Amino acid sequence: MAVVFDTDSSGAWNEMFSAPGQARLIYQRLLADLDAQSVTELSQRADQLARTFIDRGVTFAHSGEERPFPLDIVPRIIGALEWDRLSRGIAQRVRALEAFLADVYGPGRIFTDGVIPRRVVTSSPHFCRQAIGITPANGVRIAVAGIDVIRDEHGNFCVLEDNIRIPSGVSYVIENRRAMTQTFAPLFSNHRVLPVDSYPSKLLAALVASAPPKAKNPVVVVLSPGVHNAAYFEHVLLARMMGVELVEGRDLVCRANHVYMRTTTGERAVHVIYRRVDDDWLDPLQFRPNSVIGVAGLVNAARAGNVAISNGLGNGVADDKLVYTYVPDFIRYYLGETPLLDNIATFRLEDADVCAEVVANLADYVIKPVDGSGGKGIVIGPQATDEELRDVEAAIAENPRNWIAQRPVALSTHPTFVDDRISPRHIDLRPFAVSNGNEVWVLPGGLTRVALGEGELIVNSSRGGGSKDTWVLSEDVPVAPPVSAPTLSPALLGAPQQNDEFINQDEEQQ
Amino acid sequence: MTESLLLQIRHHTGFRYEGRAKSSYNEARMTPQDSPTQSVEQTKLTVRPVVPTYSYVDYFGTVVTSFDISEVHDILEVESLSTVRTTPGVVESPIEWRHLFDDAFMDSMSEYLAVTRRTEVPAATLERYDEWRNAPTIHDAVEAVSAFVRERMQYVPGATSVTSTALEAWERGQGVCQDMTHVTLGILRSLGIPARYVSGYFYPKKIAEVGETIRGQSHAWVEYFSGAWTGIDPTNGIGHTERHIVVGRGRDYGDVSPLKGIYHGPKSTGTGAVVEIVRLP
Amino acid sequence: MLSRLAESLFWIGRYIERADDTSRIVDSYVHRIVEDPFNNEDATCRSLYAILGVPQPEHELLRNEMLQTIVYDEKSPNSIAGALDGAFENARRSRDFISSEMWVALNTTRNELRSRQRVAAGLGPATYLAYVRERCALLAGLTDATLSHDDGWQFLLLGRNLERIDMTTRLLRGRIAYMDASPDWMAFLRASGAMEAFMRSSHQLNDPNGVATFLMLNRTFPRSVLYALNVVDAALREVQSSNQLFDSGDAARETLAHARSTLEYVDEEELLTQLPALLEMLERTCYRINDAVTDKYFRHEEAILWISENQL
Repeated sequence: MAVVFDTDSSGAWNEMFSAPGQARLIYQRLLADLDAQSVTELSQRADQLARTFIDRGVTFAHSGEERPFPLDIVPRIIGALEWDRLSRGIAQRVRALEAFLADVYGPGRIFTDGVIPRRVVTSSPHFCRQAIGITPANGVRIAVAGIDVIRDEHGNFCVLEDNIRIPSGVSYVIENRRAMTQTFAPLFSNHRVLPVDSYPSKLLAALVASAPPKAKNPVVVVLSPGVHNAAYFEHVLLARMMGVELVEGRDLVCRANHVYMRTTTGERAVHVIYRRVDDDWLDPLQFRPNSVIGVAGLVNAARAGNVAISNGLGNGVADDKLVYTYVPDFIRYYLGETPLLDNIATFRLEDADVCAEVVANLADYVIKPVDGSGGKGIVIGPQATDEELRDVEAAIAENPRNWIAQRPVALSTHPTFVDDRISPRHIDLRPFAVSNGNEVWVLPGGLTRVALGEGELIVNSSRGGGSKDTWVLSEDVPVAPPVSAPTLSPALLGAPQQNDEFINQDEEQQ
Repeated sequence: MTESLLLQIRHHTGFRYEGRAKSSYNEARMTPQDSPTQSVEQTKLTVRPVVPTYSYVDYFGTVVTSFDISEVHDILEVESLSTVRTTPGVVESPIEWRHLFDDAFMDSMSEYLAVTRRTEVPAATLERYDEWRNAPTIHDAVEAVSAFVRERMQYVPGATSVTSTALEAWERGQGVCQDMTHVTLGILRSLGIPARYVSGYFYPKKIAEVGETIRGQSHAWVEYFSGAWTGIDPTNGIGHTERHIVVGRGRDYGDVSPLKGIYHGPKSTGTGAVVEIVRLP
Repeated sequence: MLSRLAESLFWIGRYIERADDTSRIVDSYVHRIVEDPFNNEDATCRSLYAILGVPQPEHELLRNEMLQTIVYDEKSPNSIAGALDGAFENARRSRDFISSEMWVALNTTRNELRSRQRVAAGLGPATYLAYVRERCALLAGLTDATLSHDDGWQFLLLGRNLERIDMTTRLLRGRIAYMDASPDWMAFLRASGAMEAFMRSSHQLNDPNGVATFLMLNRTFPRSVLYALNVVDAALREVQSSNQLFDSGDAARETLAHARSTLEYVDEEELLTQLPALLEMLERTCYRINDAVTDKYFRHEEAILWISENQL
């Protein structure tokens, strides 16, 4: 029995359909395959997916409880040509951010050249004065970046947010692919999908490349805050797949600027620390003295060139939402190139004129705090109550530098299997980029996050979202074109969706 | 009358533990550097228990010596011994007031104009704001502020602690050089004058006898920007003299603490800082 | 491997074994209380407390309190639920090392126990205790099958067998001390899981010397003290060689060598008379080996809460 497809009639770009009933070329085969399944079969596969996750312990801590991160059975597909453009844009952005960090924690040319005011950087709480004088051995401060992109109403990818401190979510990408190949194998035989399992070896190679040159056989560790951390599952997975030790702060000790790991054979030197602990908690001598998850003396050991901290200290100064507005300028300034990916049009409220205009029309904008994360503090003007608008107006008046405003953008939608129907839901994409000092490699696909509630905009896991397996095809057409392009009879078209036009939010733990 | 002095400074400080401390990690900012007003002939920092030390220059240009102790110990002692030739600071013609409010200027000086927790001052300190703001030059305004702070705050050792803020000290009306410096910084920044915290030593006697060891002080004063960085000492009501030796600079005390660290062990008390200065021939 | 991880695995081995052995012992003692109409419940429960090292209460000790303390109390490391909780907590910390199947098995066990405890309140502990033994067997099987037999597994094996020696020693001491209050030799063998194996050996039932000999000295029965000592020795040797710590001596192996030779040269005829001294020696041996291994391989810190200080 054919599955009922709903199509969307709001202005949002539909990933699968170019027009009602008309599927895009790269989706035609998938559509045919799904069409051939009954609701029961799809439900069963969905249940099986959920079970494999529970068994493997793929969870995310949500309100203190460990819950599986729902994987939708309908994969998201990106064609080869489009991926080529997108991945080059991601790599370009990472290169510019890398140059910016080297400059900000170095000569500071960009300030004297007037491209960005110095105070934007120095007043950021993530500006780390201890990072001055710490030069990574291979020049890389952003070993892993998660650049969140969305597709606007015109089908163009634009950057929503840069995450270059501790971007997380790649474990879901790996587990999603594993689960899909196990429970929905037939889909893969009709598509040539680029694999994602090279990520851990690429990451390991990049980490090894960042080791102090004098270390002949560099020892790499993953530093985790421990079992209570929301992303602990990811720390375990990456450590296991890279074949390196997973340590906590108390397993490491610093002596005379060298870092050692406490093992059964005594203390073993450590050369590279892939740290999943925030700057603030990393070294009680330099930052919060009450941190029990850090390593005392670590920063000076890095300064002395005896250990590499990856990602680097103070990266947060470049993924601040205010600095985000300058990133296209960085691309032009440092790389001499035109940005391949645009930002979403963003307004800085520290500019008095801009602020006045926005405040006069608060209900038309999405207002975001510069230092928020996980979707907290964001006010979606068109949906907000009068009280919420008044509160945010007061907060803006108190500290305008802490706020930016964006025009609402319609996130693209993708058919998603919910409540025994396949209906459009808003999605975004987090591609992951790994830098080894010579090149920036982008993992094919990335994490597509989906807002499971109808019309909902908030897609991150800490707010109850789900994800999709993301396929990058090695060629732009599926392997076996369908016999005839399926069309849908009007009777099967679902009711138009709510007017859902807004922006999705950021991941809590980045 | 300007004079050049050759001073030898011994700064001894540390922590004593009620029992034994198992390990500690520390950073000392006790090393003077060369500058237009001082030339360092010799400087040495020693630590007991004896451990390897490592030095670097921090964001504000202060020399930092870091070290860690992994053996059990009941006392940590740090001593710096330096020989420094000093000259008084030169006060140059100041820039005009209006230059202070140029956008690019304010941006480049933003860290020395920003309010910090330790230097935030209450509105009461700004009662003479208009008067200061209308002083003929920046120097005049700064001197007036310095005099104001001396007038309103009593120098009382022990009234405050290393953690106290300008607000707390002002409300008490008492403090030491650290507090008077914080209050002065808060007022100057409110006026739009970039200002920074200077830590170092002060030779307390006006006439320095050769060979006489004087009990000196770990001292704090202000440098403000008037076209060049110029020193002013609100605690003593003077400018930067040959009796001042600079060790570190920052936004407030938090950036220049002479000895700070973390340890694992029982309760500790400071051994008390001892600063002795001798004028050499 | 990481010291902290090695220690976690060691304790997983000890705690699971503890839960298993305790459930066998409690099962046979509870049977005795139920089956024998002349039994002194208080004395029987006290003898059980003595074996497991639980402090004796002042008041009359009855079955329900005893079960609560030794079986159901999640917070006490001496109780079955507490031991499994301890295993679970240690597994959590070593989650990157143990297999996902083990993790799932422990997690499921922990959750199941709670609901089974409610049932046991009404129907008695027999099925609860049987479930514990079943799950422990499953966990032991999973560890052996899903963990590489390298260092981590050796530490787990070490813990498991050290605990086994400890428990068997305690059981025998209890039997001797509370001869009248404890179950007869047959029930005793059942408690040790040794019944059928003993019967197949050449020893006679109701021959105390034979039973003691079997449990202490048999070279092929896995729950015998000598067998477990040999396993511990082999594990220590493996761990030492792979970790290549250039110590002049290994305190654990020395202690163990002494215990082994003592047992190997015991005159079987004289075993019963020498038993008290031997058991005391074995108890000391267990403590010493535990401490020596901890000292040598598990030296690590708990997370330090630093105190900051500032001086002029």
